[in-house]
Amino acid sequence: MKHSTRRSVLMSVDQAGGTSTRVSRPGRRRAALAVAAAGALTLSACGLGGGGGSSAEGEGEEGDEGPVTIGISLPLTGDFSEPGKGVQRGYEAWAEYTNANGGLLGRDVELIIYDDQSNADRVASDYEKLINQDQVDIVVGPFSTRLVVPAAQVAQDYGFLFVEPAGAAEEVFTQGFDNLFYAAPAIANDHYNYLAEHILAMPEGERPTTAAYASMDDPFAQGTAYGLKEKLEEGGIETVADEVYPPNTTDFSSIANKIANTGADILVGGTQYQDAVNLIVALQQLDYQPRLAAFSTAPTNPEFPEAIGQTDGILSPTGYTPDADYPSNAEFVDFYTEQHGNPPNEDEANAWTTMQVVAAAAEANDCADPSPECQQSMIDWLRENTVDTVVGPLSWDAEGRPQAAHLIQQWQDDEIVIVLPEDASDAELSYPKQDW
Amino acid sequence: MPNASDLATPTPTAPDTGRPDDSAGERFDRRLGLAKAGLGVVAIVLALMVPWLAPDAFILSVAVVIASYAAFAVGWNFVGGFTGYISLGHASYSGLGGYAVALLTTHTGINPWVALVLGAVVVALLAVPIGIASLRVRGASFVIVSIALVLILLLVFQSWASVTGGSEGLRVPRPFDSSVLRPEQHTRFYFLFLVLIGIALVVWWLIDRSQFGAGLKAIREDEDKAEALGVPTFRYKLVVFVISAFFTSLAGGLYALWFGNLDPVFQFSILTGSYMVLMSLFGGIRSLVGPVVGAVVVGYAMEVFKAQYGDSQFHLVALGLLLAVVVLFMPEGVVPEVLGLVHRLRPAATSIREESAAQLLERNRAIDAERRAQTEATSEREPVEDPRHATTGKGRS
Amino acid sequence: MTALITQAVILGILLGGLYALLAAGLTLYFGVMRVVMIAHSAFLILAAYLAWAFHRATGIDPLFSLIATVPLFFLLGVVMQRFLLSRLKPATLTMMSVLLTFAIALIIEGMLGFVWTGTQRRISLSYSTASLEVFGANIAVVKLVAFGLAAVSLLALYLLMKATSFGQALRATIQHKEAAALLGIDTEKVAGYGFGLGLATAAIGGTALALDSTIYPSLHWHWIGPLMAIIVVGGLGSIPGAAIAALVLGLSQSLLQIPLGTTWAQTVFYLALFITLMVRPQGFFGGRLAQRF
Repeated sequence: MKHSTRRSVLMSVDQAGGTSTRVSRPGRRRAALAVAAAGALTLSACGLGGGGGSSAEGEGEEGDEGPVTIGISLPLTGDFSEPGKGVQRGYEAWAEYTNANGGLLGRDVELIIYDDQSNADRVASDYEKLINQDQVDIVVGPFSTRLVVPAAQVAQDYGFLFVEPAGAAEEVFTQGFDNLFYAAPAIANDHYNYLAEHILAMPEGERPTTAAYASMDDPFAQGTAYGLKEKLEEGGIETVADEVYPPNTTDFSSIANKIANTGADILVGGTQYQDAVNLIVALQQLDYQPRLAAFSTAPTNPEFPEAIGQTDGILSPTGYTPDADYPSNAEFVDFYTEQHGNPPNEDEANAWTTMQVVAAAAEANDCADPSPECQQSMIDWLRENTVDTVVGPLSWDAEGRPQAAHLIQQWQDDEIVIVLPEDASDAELSYPKQDW
Repeated sequence: MPNASDLATPTPTAPDTGRPDDSAGERFDRRLGLAKAGLGVVAIVLALMVPWLAPDAFILSVAVVIASYAAFAVGWNFVGGFTGYISLGHASYSGLGGYAVALLTTHTGINPWVALVLGAVVVALLAVPIGIASLRVRGASFVIVSIALVLILLLVFQSWASVTGGSEGLRVPRPFDSSVLRPEQHTRFYFLFLVLIGIALVVWWLIDRSQFGAGLKAIREDEDKAEALGVPTFRYKLVVFVISAFFTSLAGGLYALWFGNLDPVFQFSILTGSYMVLMSLFGGIRSLVGPVVGAVVVGYAMEVFKAQYGDSQFHLVALGLLLAVVVLFMPEGVVPEVLGLVHRLRPAATSIREESAAQLLERNRAIDAERRAQTEATSEREPVEDPRHATTGKGRS
Repeated sequence: MTALITQAVILGILLGGLYALLAAGLTLYFGVMRVVMIAHSAFLILAAYLAWAFHRATGIDPLFSLIATVPLFFLLGVVMQRFLLSRLKPATLTMMSVLLTFAIALIIEGMLGFVWTGTQRRISLSYSTASLEVFGANIAVVKLVAFGLAAVSLLALYLLMKATSFGQALRATIQHKEAAALLGIDTEKVAGYGFGLGLATAAIGGTALALDSTIYPSLHWHWIGPLMAIIVVGGLGSIPGAAIAALVLGLSQSLLQIPLGTTWAQTVFYLALFITLMVRPQGFFGGRLAQRF
């Protein structure tokens, strides 16, 4: 953990189906440090080039002989490290599962994962390294909209397909990337579509009339809240508070004060995790009770119920549910649960989905190599086709926006259940929500 | 261009005139001068050859990053090196430079290179009121303002989304058309950074030899005494501060054109500013090439460290430890330390000493007296190099 | 509307109290050593983490962690002053100490991330969501506890400075170090204890912070800006100045959040900082000392 950043999960499969993980640790450290001591610029090139030497094991001129290498940069430390690690678990689980089941195009899969330290400069440099030095066959995306854009730029410049699990904000799709595909059901602004329909369809007397919005200043979080806001405003629901706070905010008492003062019927939080908890606790301290409360991301966190106490009635959009009966989902959930002892979350599922999309494109074109022809054929194929994934069948528009919708889930009796859309729901949406 | 013989450590001129081993000393000096020049030439040639030596585009991109570090460090060192005022917030100027280029090119459609220079001029103008606020009082307030400025810019650029793109970030249009492939872009930007570093070093060198530079260094040694000597300290500090903001902003703009994407969180980061300080300090803030050497060594070390300990927060610990070690044990920096060692080998070596305020006082007095007495117009005299006065000062008080 | 403002005023005062305690520590270092202590807020977060870890490990109320952290931080402060800061050359002390304490802040942040990862943490207490109703406003119990801690510590600091001989020596050192030394005060020792006291305020402040807020390793950057601004506005080295500036600015921030929103309201600190430096560089409550820095 401490020493290896190049973490190749090479699985060997024996007859009994048991697997073993080999984590390769190229002994580059000493050499690199020695070079550092030398300090000369030319030598520095060799020191950093050390990874190239070990690429023989990863990938080869011999083409189909070696494993398929997939390069990834993830925020394993820093501000986005929590979801970043979830995505990593998803990727690694998929690699192990695939290697235990015949591999990709009959070849083993090897992941090369770098830590971008939640830093945009780093993420670009990592993909530069993956493509040029590790000469990976395929790259897939990092986490967080803020990191997806610089990463996609590098991939595009080298003509690589770029499927990503986390850049959901609208801005990702308006940058002119022709290689990018978001591997989840819907972009951020559409996450609440079912909820908006449901609210606006309520009978006149019952329907809430005012709404308060609080959102983190982050493209993804704001996208979810403002997507709903737009639709509710169109439907005549008045916006009485609209608060945006910087990502590092920890004191929510003033925001809570303003929201509580409006007494809004609906509370919408464009949140990640801790900001939702802080906001809810601050609202509880003010004894504000909305009739409907929805937060993005946070409510599915396993620590959420303990952090705020009474969760019943809280809504959240999700792109994924372990209970979904899509063809590959049961295998994913079983495999993941066996490995980790708990069912996968949305982050893990998005990573798995990303890999499913890439694998489908590779298999359809019978290639997985860095050549522009192969990459372009995969890109073209994804534009035209639908891929079956653990989050359902996915297809994309010309900018890479997925064309499906998010489910709406709700905490009911200390459990999360799907409440919308009705044809996929486990239970009815309970409204108004219980006091928290 | 950088030349090792231009190091600001004053060469010990003639303190030992008349001593018997003088010729040996002179021979040593000559050889040392040759060695320095040789080293300088080798370094320049190597730096120019990097694009052909780099085995792949990734290494080339690392070279661009390190070159950008060097440009930032040299820009920072105008204020840090000359006045001794440590700014932890120079990311303000690099970030502003980046945004200025991006906004000018996207909104007015002017040539990106014109936008780069124009943007830096705008940032330099902005630096004037900032400098006035932070330089009127001594160091502590300056540091506080430098940090506060980064934080306030982060808030403003994050919130003012209609102009800056806010947290969604801002794309910077490519200065080269799409036929220029990415590795070729790296090469071009690498040379652009080298040119920028070269220009900045020449300006630094010119200031260093001027009376303006002497006044600035007097401020660094003892601001009270410098003021008593009649150095217009506030004006001098302000001018060099604005020059520093200008060059830092140019480097930031160039980086933005290369990287292509701006996000306030990464542009206005105290950590970025602290890299500039660490690199300059490591190399030696009083020497011309110190910041460049520091940027190459520290920048390279950071890459190696990232490659080895990537997925842990140890890179912050390492950065902190390195900074602490430099501050505690070698505040003069590596380049002066090494030179000091070499000079100690010199036959009949004299201890090398920075010019003290007392020395400066002596010299300035002498210059003034000389001026008054002078009837012939030899105003271009180089005061720093005047051996008669350089050694009359007592040790540092 | 009045309810909104009443609530904002109360929140502002509660927040200002915490700012006051933390800024008092920061200005104290400056007073005794002429040191801008960047690592102050990193120690604050460290204390918050220790409180959190203590609560998680034992289940006991995090306030009890103060029994250990306050003396520990005091000692750390003394050690830091004696073995690190006093090694720096007096001529470049202000600048080099900035870098040294900056380095310490980075090391603390890195170690926190290394030991407890970057995950945001929050102490969950039985009284986390409890509140009292006063004048129609709801005051969270945790905020009251935090404010109480800050008020008691500030009062203790005030009494220590005013009523003890150590306090006298400390004030003398702050006012004029050389003169204090001539009077036979061991200014080095006093400076060490002053540093320890400053760091002890960080321990208390951190624990108070952890009661009602999420913590994560890089949170200290968020605190350092406002605290720095407060001590400049209050006048570097002046503890009462820092306390008054903290209350005024905390209150302004809280009230400005109503019309401006969270992000723009934060700029009040920096605006106050720039205005102070333009109009009255020695600070609004500072004495002769601040004039030269």
